[in-house]
Amino acid sequence: MGGHSDLKLLVNGKRLDGRTQFDLRPIRVEVGVLHDADGSAFVEWGKNKVICGIYGPRECIPRHGADPYKAVLKCRYMMAPFSSLEEHGRSGPNRRSTELSKVIREVFENLIIVENYPRTQIDIFVDVLQSDGGTRTTCVTAAAAALANAGIPMRDMASAVAVGKADDTLVVDLAKEEDNFGQCDMPVAFSYRKKDILLLQMDGLLTRQEIETLLNEAEKASEKVYVKQADALKKVYDSKEEKFKM
Amino acid sequence: MNNNRKIVLPGERISDKKLYLPNTFVEGEETFAAVIGMLDEEGKYIPLESRYKPLQEDTLVGIVTDVRHAGYSVDINLSSPAFISSKDFRVELNLGDIVSCKVGQVYEVGDVDFAEVKKLPPGKVIHYPPAKVPRLIGRKSSMINLIREHAGGDIIVGNNGYVWISETSNIPLALKTINIIIQKAHMSGLTDEIAQFLKNQTGESKISAQTGE
Repeated sequence: MGGHSDLKLLVNGKRLDGRTQFDLRPIRVEVGVLHDADGSAFVEWGKNKVICGIYGPRECIPRHGADPYKAVLKCRYMMAPFSSLEEHGRSGPNRRSTELSKVIREVFENLIIVENYPRTQIDIFVDVLQSDGGTRTTCVTAAAAALANAGIPMRDMASAVAVGKADDTLVVDLAKEEDNFGQCDMPVAFSYRKKDILLLQMDGLLTRQEIETLLNEAEKASEKVYVKQADALKKVYDSKEEKFKM
Repeated sequence: MNNNRKIVLPGERISDKKLYLPNTFVEGEETFAAVIGMLDEEGKYIPLESRYKPLQEDTLVGIVTDVRHAGYSVDINLSSPAFISSKDFRVELNLGDIVSCKVGQVYEVGDVDFAEVKKLPPGKVIHYPPAKVPRLIGRKSSMINLIREHAGGDIIVGNNGYVWISETSNIPLALKTINIIIQKAHMSGLTDEIAQFLKNQTGESKISAQTGE
């Protein structure tokens, strides 16, 4: 956002990567990719690659941070130094990654039944291996699948998608160029069953009418994302071949 | 997988009545799954992934993680270690020892008191998914007895997901078998399949031993 370029983001209704207005990039979800983590997921969303590991509920460190009534959720979002062309992830946590860690944590604070595990902490680690716009939505999608894979009790599943406006056209699932040179980027996370909005951020300007249209489109898109998560989670129990992981 | 069984994800409705089962939650008049699980025709819900939740009378396998004057800390796959008081049990333990214990009392916050503590001889402890423990034991211990018989040594399955395999048994064979059970825990007719597998495995090892001579 805020960048300026002569690049045409939409030509004859086709976007830079050939998608139409409300198309999603191809998504691939895989769960149980890490051996030692309690739950894990790998998500490829267009050119984004995100890996997520879940640990816990385990002993809360530091001890004084523990809550006697519920589990404490901790989330760490990090971009690998090699994840993009820009100066990301080179020098530890920065303002941006701290913000993303917070918004991802808050998505799951609304879903996980934290009262079941007093005095413990649950760790969510999301690492961006490759980024191409929309990493926070990819991370929410990966973390939800990994938490389900870990067997951590949740009231609902979460799936996220970014919507926005580029070249005066409303679009779903913004890629890097649309995010950088477009007019608005609005990542949204929905819970599947209740359709609660768990995350909503907006960078840029939209009219009230546009927001309504985009939220509708985002809800439809998030259901498509949910199908991918569900398929990945169920696939673990369908495979006939034996995997020796121990 | 069995066709009449359906995999349910967290947040999926499993009943329109209030059920109050483990790994579920009730909202309004309906019950929902909280973890990924299996729902059969009769509406019975079996969780496929879950954390260990201590219950009275459970048999556990634990590892001593701390030795103090007052007693021992044992790792029993909970978020915090349990404590064996030397006042209550006359067992002499060292760091890293493996114990099998019976749960006496479980407090509201999840702390555990033991009713029985026994030191186990040296062996291997593996981490097994707690939700799949019933499959490893089998009906009337049929599955675990089968493995014991073929591996030729003692195996103790803790409800907490720690499995102890004695040093005297065929550990690679036991591990291989347990891995198959982890992979196929949600399938029916598993005991027969494992029996066949063990028969083939032990048969093969006998043949290779003969040809080796």
